Amino acid sequence: MFPDPARDYQCPDQLRCELKFGGGSPITKQPLVRLVNVWKRFGSIQALAGASLDVYPGEIHVVLGENGAGKTSLMCVLAGLYRPDQGEVLVNGQQFAVRTPADALKLGVTMVHQHFELVDNLSVWENVVLGAEGGRFALTRRRCHQAVRQLASEHGVEVDIDARVRDLPVGLQQKVEILKMLYRRARILILDEPTTFLTPQEVDTLLVTLQRLAASGLAILLVTHKLRDALRVGDRLTVMRGGRVVASLPAAGGTEELLVQWMMGEPPAAATKLLETARPAPPAPDAPVLLEVEETSTVGTHNRLRLQGISFRLRAGEIVGVAGVAGSGQRELAELLVGLLPVAAGRIRLSGVDITKLPIRDRLDRGLVLVPEDRVRDGILPGMTLAETVVLGLHRHLFPNVWYDFARAMQLGRNAIEQHAVRAPHPLIPSTYLSGGNIQKLILARAVETCRIRAEPVVVALNPSRGLDVRAVQHVHQQLRSVVGRGGAVLLVSEDLDELIGLCHHIVVLHRGQTVAEFDGPGYDRYSIGEAMLGSAA
Amino acid sequence: MGWQFFFDPEVLRQMVFVATPLVLAAQGELLIQRSGILNVSIEGMMALGAVVGFLVAYVTGAKLFGLVAAALAAAILGLVLGYAAITLHAPQLTIGLALFILGTGLSSLLYRMVIGLRFLPPMIATFPAVEVPVLSELPIVGRWLFRVPAPSYVVIGVVAIMHLFLFHTTIGLRVRATGENPRCADSLGIPVTRLRYACLMIGGMLIGVAGALLPMMLTGTYSEGMVGGRGWISLMLVILGRWVPFGTLMGAWLFGYVDALQYRLGLTIQTVPPQFMLMLPYVFVVLVAIRAYRGAQAPQALLKPYDREARA
Amino acid sequence: MYVAALAAALAINTLVIAILRHDPWVAYKTALNDSLGSIGGFAQTLNRMTPLLLVAITFSLSRQVGLANIGMDGQIYVGGVLATGIGLSLAPAGLPAWQMVPLVLAGGAMAGAAFVLIAGVLRAAWGVSEIFTTVMLNFVAAYLVEFLCTGPWNDPTAGEAITYPIPRTAALPMLITRGGAHTGVLLACAVAVLTWGLLYRTVPGYEMRAVGANARAALIAGIGVTRVQLIALTLGGGLSGLAGAIEVAGVHERLLVGLTPGYGFMGILVAVLARYHPLVLIPVSFAFAVLVAGSDSLQRTVGFPASAVFLVQALVVIVIMVVEALRARRERYVI
Repeated sequence: MFPDPARDYQCPDQLRCELKFGGGSPITKQPLVRLVNVWKRFGSIQALAGASLDVYPGEIHVVLGENGAGKTSLMCVLAGLYRPDQGEVLVNGQQFAVRTPADALKLGVTMVHQHFELVDNLSVWENVVLGAEGGRFALTRRRCHQAVRQLASEHGVEVDIDARVRDLPVGLQQKVEILKMLYRRARILILDEPTTFLTPQEVDTLLVTLQRLAASGLAILLVTHKLRDALRVGDRLTVMRGGRVVASLPAAGGTEELLVQWMMGEPPAAATKLLETARPAPPAPDAPVLLEVEETSTVGTHNRLRLQGISFRLRAGEIVGVAGVAGSGQRELAELLVGLLPVAAGRIRLSGVDITKLPIRDRLDRGLVLVPEDRVRDGILPGMTLAETVVLGLHRHLFPNVWYDFARAMQLGRNAIEQHAVRAPHPLIPSTYLSGGNIQKLILARAVETCRIRAEPVVVALNPSRGLDVRAVQHVHQQLRSVVGRGGAVLLVSEDLDELIGLCHHIVVLHRGQTVAEFDGPGYDRYSIGEAMLGSAA
Repeated sequence: MGWQFFFDPEVLRQMVFVATPLVLAAQGELLIQRSGILNVSIEGMMALGAVVGFLVAYVTGAKLFGLVAAALAAAILGLVLGYAAITLHAPQLTIGLALFILGTGLSSLLYRMVIGLRFLPPMIATFPAVEVPVLSELPIVGRWLFRVPAPSYVVIGVVAIMHLFLFHTTIGLRVRATGENPRCADSLGIPVTRLRYACLMIGGMLIGVAGALLPMMLTGTYSEGMVGGRGWISLMLVILGRWVPFGTLMGAWLFGYVDALQYRLGLTIQTVPPQFMLMLPYVFVVLVAIRAYRGAQAPQALLKPYDREARA
Repeated sequence: MYVAALAAALAINTLVIAILRHDPWVAYKTALNDSLGSIGGFAQTLNRMTPLLLVAITFSLSRQVGLANIGMDGQIYVGGVLATGIGLSLAPAGLPAWQMVPLVLAGGAMAGAAFVLIAGVLRAAWGVSEIFTTVMLNFVAAYLVEFLCTGPWNDPTAGEAITYPIPRTAALPMLITRGGAHTGVLLACAVAVLTWGLLYRTVPGYEMRAVGANARAALIAGIGVTRVQLIALTLGGGLSGLAGAIEVAGVHERLLVGLTPGYGFMGILVAVLARYHPLVLIPVSFAFAVLVAGSDSLQRTVGFPASAVFLVQALVVIVIMVVEALRARRERYVI
């Protein structure tokens, strides 16, 4: 990841102090927990550099910061998942050893992770009671059932508690996660980026729920990089950057402009520029259609949703977004396009050529590239070098003879480091050593190189900026724009509605494997897209 | 040769009988895999269990001591696997294979060092068949199920206990969660590492006892290579049984049936060379494996070491 | 680290010899003499190294594509069967050696390849784990050999479970005539170098390594994962079959039940130790061959059990793997 730039922008000092000490609103309550001067290092990354945090009962405390600012790491320290290199946890002014999650649970600290930590193959009630079954040896289904059902109805969660978690939609999974935490009598509830996968409507409901929980005396730590959510519900804001806490203030004192400056560590103009997602110019009306999907369907399997009657077109110079609640068929759509999933009915054309039945290899050679969702799992070749990873997929073009040209691969690897900003000392470094951000740059470098070979490339990008820090996200967007600028087209699948709205010329909404609505930009209405994502439109 | 031949009560009795070590080994492996570890060294663990069990039973004259020693010996191998795979995150497959070879080598070495070379191999008394008073008088089923040695009954009990443990106790739930999503289990305060070690130890013990049953039930002597792939077959049975105790019991009986039938056929049909009869069970399990692997869903964390501070 | 592993192995070895009531010093001297110290011993070592190296390449190839073929013993057996079959059936034709030897070797290789293809096809079509099928097929092959040796091809004058000898023209030429080392070792080393070239200098080899490193990434990159895996598996099976043919044509000149004293499993250890790198396999398999030849000698002189060599080898590998894992834990680092 990127270290904080040394030329840190410092916000006006007197302003910071004023805000930090609450500007006259005295906090009378005792903090539940205090984290003091926490340091944590992962290899060459300093994730936390002296961060401190106070948690008071009954408040919604928003921890704000860009990806890579150390928010999650700090929360993981509080939850006992990471053992800090330095720093302490204070309870009632006394040092408290939080060495394991079990210790944190004793304090009542619970954490809902961004990608949830549920056991997919167990039922809802098993997930809720897991680890807090009531101290008995025998697992009595009836007793647990009753307790879980009561809890669910108390909090107004409607869910079949015998259903397997993997079969639930994401929004419901999150509710199950929260129930699970309430079941073990949480006093501090940490939510890591809980709004990422939700539609605007679901976000509203979640925030109302959180306010209600806080009113009942629970301390809520809401970790997010979205200003909008932070300003709506936060009682107090803590802004982090580069592993440090740069400001801590009552929500009333923060303006959007100030917060952005703190988060970015840049002067106002540069900060807004970093946040900007510039949409490339719209394609010419007569631009050729590069990718055309016509009434396409797939056969569903037990872990693949069935797609039905998908139709859309992608013109040269266009970025089309695919929105949808997670698990609405986005992954299947991408796999279908690149040839990982067979087509059951319908037709796919690439630059006018029918590719419906072509294998992956031929589609790739025609310039249809996938930027996979899980970059660590699908993107790199562990145990092989950076150079060898960069040429993957390009190798047929680069080495038309049988011989693997070592020098050519090295050249490409060096190119990735120099031109595509992959941070690595040399191209022979094992690709396992790369961080998530660097892997993504590598994958994009590969995609862009493929685009150089073909005249009219189509890039299918699945959540390409998930989990990356601001600068890396900027880089991703820039690369996607460069594809479009060269006469290519991009299909951008993203769970982040803001990213889609900022970048796309056109948005297609998927719901349960069907296209339910389409929107033309600019001028999108968040809520109507959200409605379509939930399947309630039309 | 009519259909009676295939349902001969004696063949069915043999089925329960020869399947016993398989059932037990498969239960051990099932427990280990449920906690998220793939143990491919069962064959070696069984070999070690067989020789240690045999030697201790031979020297002390008490089979119970033999069984206990076999369990401990195999558990030690499990401990090595655990240290490498759980604590050190070493690749489970390679360590498992190396341990399998180690177990195989160690077992014949131990036998040679204690017994030496003899013209007539030493013998121990095998478990006698136990007739359950009333039940064994039942028509067909009585001869089939209720006239087998004591371990066969015990092992069926083990299957039932394993089932109750996994699906009706809190620790069983935690084991299942650990095998599916150790990070989730860990964040809920469940001691993932300790649970995995415990499963590996207990599973290893069951496998070791299963190995000791080979000389104690089937042959009365120890001979090199006597495990004969039963460890690997148990591994497949876990998959065939879909990681459910009673499923593996059924699979083990199926294999036991073919083994018993093969033996019977060999006695009846003299024209086919015995080696082809002996091949039959192995060919059969390969064919069964096709069924076993179709749509099989292993515990999701199988083969994946868990590191709390690894950043996803 | 390697020193520690060797020391541990040596300690165990010494303990065993001491328990067997022999002088370890004398025993080691004989063992060393019979493996490295004399021409005869050196020749024995080379002969042992040949199948070890080929089998280790087999396992390495399967690991390089993300599979694990552990049925090398079975493949050696069927290779030996077909090699013997060709040798016996072509005996009346009286072909010259330069035709006979290649035929016998090619036959063995083909048999091994075809045999492993059973596992390969089951894997490709139904996803059956090749680990399981290959090890089961070991037993099938072993019984097949037992049948042939005691049944149709049995040499009744020998009084053991061995077949008629193959014609002299089918025997491999000698490398060191005095010690009885055959030229198979040259062939094996050449195969290792060729395998290295294939893996690291050609595109199909690159695809194999990519599949092994990350099958899904390879699939997304348009590589036919199943095809690549099948090819590597079959190629490997062929090499083990070749090893079987070499054992028949170079050492025993007939088929016998103990054609492989567990070369397959030793090969796994060799390959693990060499981290599946074809060139590194050569010295490692030589070292293991020294161990095997030495333990043969110990077996003759102090009654050291044959299987003990497995224990020693496995111990070395486990100690080294544990030490490596310990070290890897200390240096976790990310750019």
